[in-house]
Amino acid sequence: MDLSRLPNDKKLQLCRWYFRVGCMFLPFVWAVNAVWFFKEAFVKPPYDEQKQIKKYVVMSVVGATTWIVVLTVWVIIFQLQRVAWGEVGDALSFIVPLGRA
Amino acid sequence: MAVSNFYVFLLLLGIVTITKCERLHEQIYSSIEGGAPCFRRLNGTHQAGCSSSDKGAVGVIHMVDNISDAQWLVYNATEGPYMAVVSTSLFYDIVELFMSYPKNIAGVLIYDNVNDSATSFTQDSRCPNEYSSGPGSLCSSSQAGGVVWNEKGTGLLKRDIPFPIFFLPQSRSEEIVKIRDCYERFNYDKNNQQGRPLCSAQLNSFMFAAVSSEVCMRRSATSTLLSPTKVCDPLGDNNVYYSLFPGTKTKDSAKKSVTLVTARIDSASLFDGVSPGSASSVVGMVTLITAAATLSQLIPVTDSQLYEQNVLWTLFNGEAFDYIGSQRVAYDLQRAAWPAHAPLTPADIPLHVEIGQIGGSVISHLNDTTWPLHAFTATQIVSETLKFLNSLSTYGEMYNMTVFSEYTTNLPPSSLHSFRRILRNVTESGDLGELLITDHNNTFTNMYYNSALDDYDKIGFNYHNISISSDGQFVPTPELIANGTMKENELQVKISRLSTVVARTLYQRVTGKDYAGDVVASAHLVDEMLYCFLRSQACRLLLAAEYAQGAGAEESLPDRAAPLYVGVATWPATAPVFAGHLLALLTGTHLPLNKSGCDAQKEEGFSNYWLRGWNHTGVCIQTTMNFSQALSPAFIIPDYDLKSGIYSTWTESVWHAMWARVFVSAGGGGAAAAGAAGLLATAVAALLTYWLQRHASLVFLDRAPASMAVDDAASGILRTVNC
Repeated sequence: MDLSRLPNDKKLQLCRWYFRVGCMFLPFVWAVNAVWFFKEAFVKPPYDEQKQIKKYVVMSVVGATTWIVVLTVWVIIFQLQRVAWGEVGDALSFIVPLGRA
Repeated sequence: MAVSNFYVFLLLLGIVTITKCERLHEQIYSSIEGGAPCFRRLNGTHQAGCSSSDKGAVGVIHMVDNISDAQWLVYNATEGPYMAVVSTSLFYDIVELFMSYPKNIAGVLIYDNVNDSATSFTQDSRCPNEYSSGPGSLCSSSQAGGVVWNEKGTGLLKRDIPFPIFFLPQSRSEEIVKIRDCYERFNYDKNNQQGRPLCSAQLNSFMFAAVSSEVCMRRSATSTLLSPTKVCDPLGDNNVYYSLFPGTKTKDSAKKSVTLVTARIDSASLFDGVSPGSASSVVGMVTLITAAATLSQLIPVTDSQLYEQNVLWTLFNGEAFDYIGSQRVAYDLQRAAWPAHAPLTPADIPLHVEIGQIGGSVISHLNDTTWPLHAFTATQIVSETLKFLNSLSTYGEMYNMTVFSEYTTNLPPSSLHSFRRILRNVTESGDLGELLITDHNNTFTNMYYNSALDDYDKIGFNYHNISISSDGQFVPTPELIANGTMKENELQVKISRLSTVVARTLYQRVTGKDYAGDVVASAHLVDEMLYCFLRSQACRLLLAAEYAQGAGAEESLPDRAAPLYVGVATWPATAPVFAGHLLALLTGTHLPLNKSGCDAQKEEGFSNYWLRGWNHTGVCIQTTMNFSQALSPAFIIPDYDLKSGIYSTWTESVWHAMWARVFVSAGGGGAAAAGAAGLLATAVAALLTYWLQRHASLVFLDRAPASMAVDDAASGILRTVNC
């Protein structure tokens, strides 16, 4: 979909909708939203709905970044500590490795 | 058209048939057949044995013919990792070097050379089952030096080995010839290996389980979506027991006191499928079965009412792995749950006699008639033990058999340790007297304890192949010696005499008087039984002791010895079944019944077996023989802490496939050339493209496209599509 062909109110609607979907533990949707509407929010000349779009884009960026940080930290901790956690580590594993700890 | 197509097809078919139809894969690799791989076992805290990586370990072959070869491999070799090919005779001297510096070692291939076989080869610990030893044991494998039971033990059976090992028996010497040929063609110039094609080998023995029994049992119990459910199984099988008289359920007063006579069935080795156990276990087991058969002839089972004593013959299984079988029996005695139909308590058993490892020294006494034995007992104060020992010595003297008494709490590895640990209060107080018969004193005489080389030739066994009469009568030993079939210094004769001595000692114990008759154990029976357990399952005794099939169904047993490794509990092994059926056949009452009558008949304390019998027509045997589970208590106690070290916790890893192959690895020149050529082609193409773009006007005609004028309408469409 080409944003430039949408009227401004539809753009806001779309951006808001993407933000809301992202709230359902879907940080990737937030990331898409942020990239997609970045130009609309910060580059395009001002228009009425731009302020609100800007708000959603910023919130999407913050949300997606938080997710990425949290997930990255968790993955690092899990990969480093799984063996030490023993039973808990195995229980948290989707694929238990064969032939090693 | 169709006809011409058909001719083309025929032509193609012709070409394909003429061309040598060998797959590329087969042209590159040559598989090593008949190798026995080392695999992984785990206990409560550690993993032991070998595993390769998922894809198999690859290394350049190096024939290690002396210690300096091994040192070169570890310290100087540059084209590593290497696959060391070592003979059994050299293995002991180099294995510690490889274990200490495994970086350059991809794997080890051990081969047994006919002309140069090892004079000692044992992968069990210097102190076998050290951590399940009873109080008073002095053997320590961690201390250097000192007196230990198994002096030449490398301990690999219970250590984590960082590389895979395969064993090639003597019968596979052609594989070694093949490997040596390949090695001498490609690798011989060892200082000039760089960049050349080299003869290499790949060993695959990837093991699913890791860390410890605790971890692998947990992973086996929980199934996740993408992992196989089972990664390891507990070791275990069946114990076999048979009592002279049927056990009774009656309480206290009427209960007979029981003499427990035991031996072990199992042996072990580092390698899958080769655990012959001749000297380690078979000689003891055969002695026990023969003695039991003899005693049943001296005292008929119908005399049960006459005597206050009973004899319970038991064969333990899984003893090589922290005494699985005897730990279970001791544990079950403690909770009065064994034998299942008429449970005993430790108080019912005043004496336990174990026929331990007695096969080690026979080879050194092949030329004389002596067979010095040692009887170990922990305390001198127990009169039951002393009485038994005295009559054993007295009867032994009749056959020129000396039994040395050894009073020490430092007992050799045997089931006594399980009883001394688990039933400590009765063994320490002396209420349960204990005696262990071995052929060694401070250290094993068997140089192949629990190993792949503990073969029949290590006990000097020479099969006589004497036929058995259709009524199951064996030629008595005196007759065999008189007619010159056997000599007095032969193993069969010695075992039969020891069995006679044990049987007569027990006769004296049960009846209270000396045996006056002339029934002795037959060396003929011993000969047949040793053949069954050491050479071939397709032997007279086992064919007679098999379950009888339907009419005419002569199912043939394999022409090789039954493996004596205990194996996993979920997969019953044949050795204990054979031992049990033999006990039943040789000691049981033959009932004149047909199959259905045999199955229907029931008598308290007995069970009936429909076996094939001596003339293979089927025979109904009424016997007190039975099987009991030899699975460590660790796996039946709910919420048992596998790390606690109280009971045996050995498990065996699951594996998918184990194979080995030889191939010539490329020298790397071809691969480098291909890489360089690719790089060059890419660079040329890039330059060419760049040049074309810069000079497009020279190559292509410079003409403005006609469509430029009507571009607007199309771009609108494109814009909507490009979303």
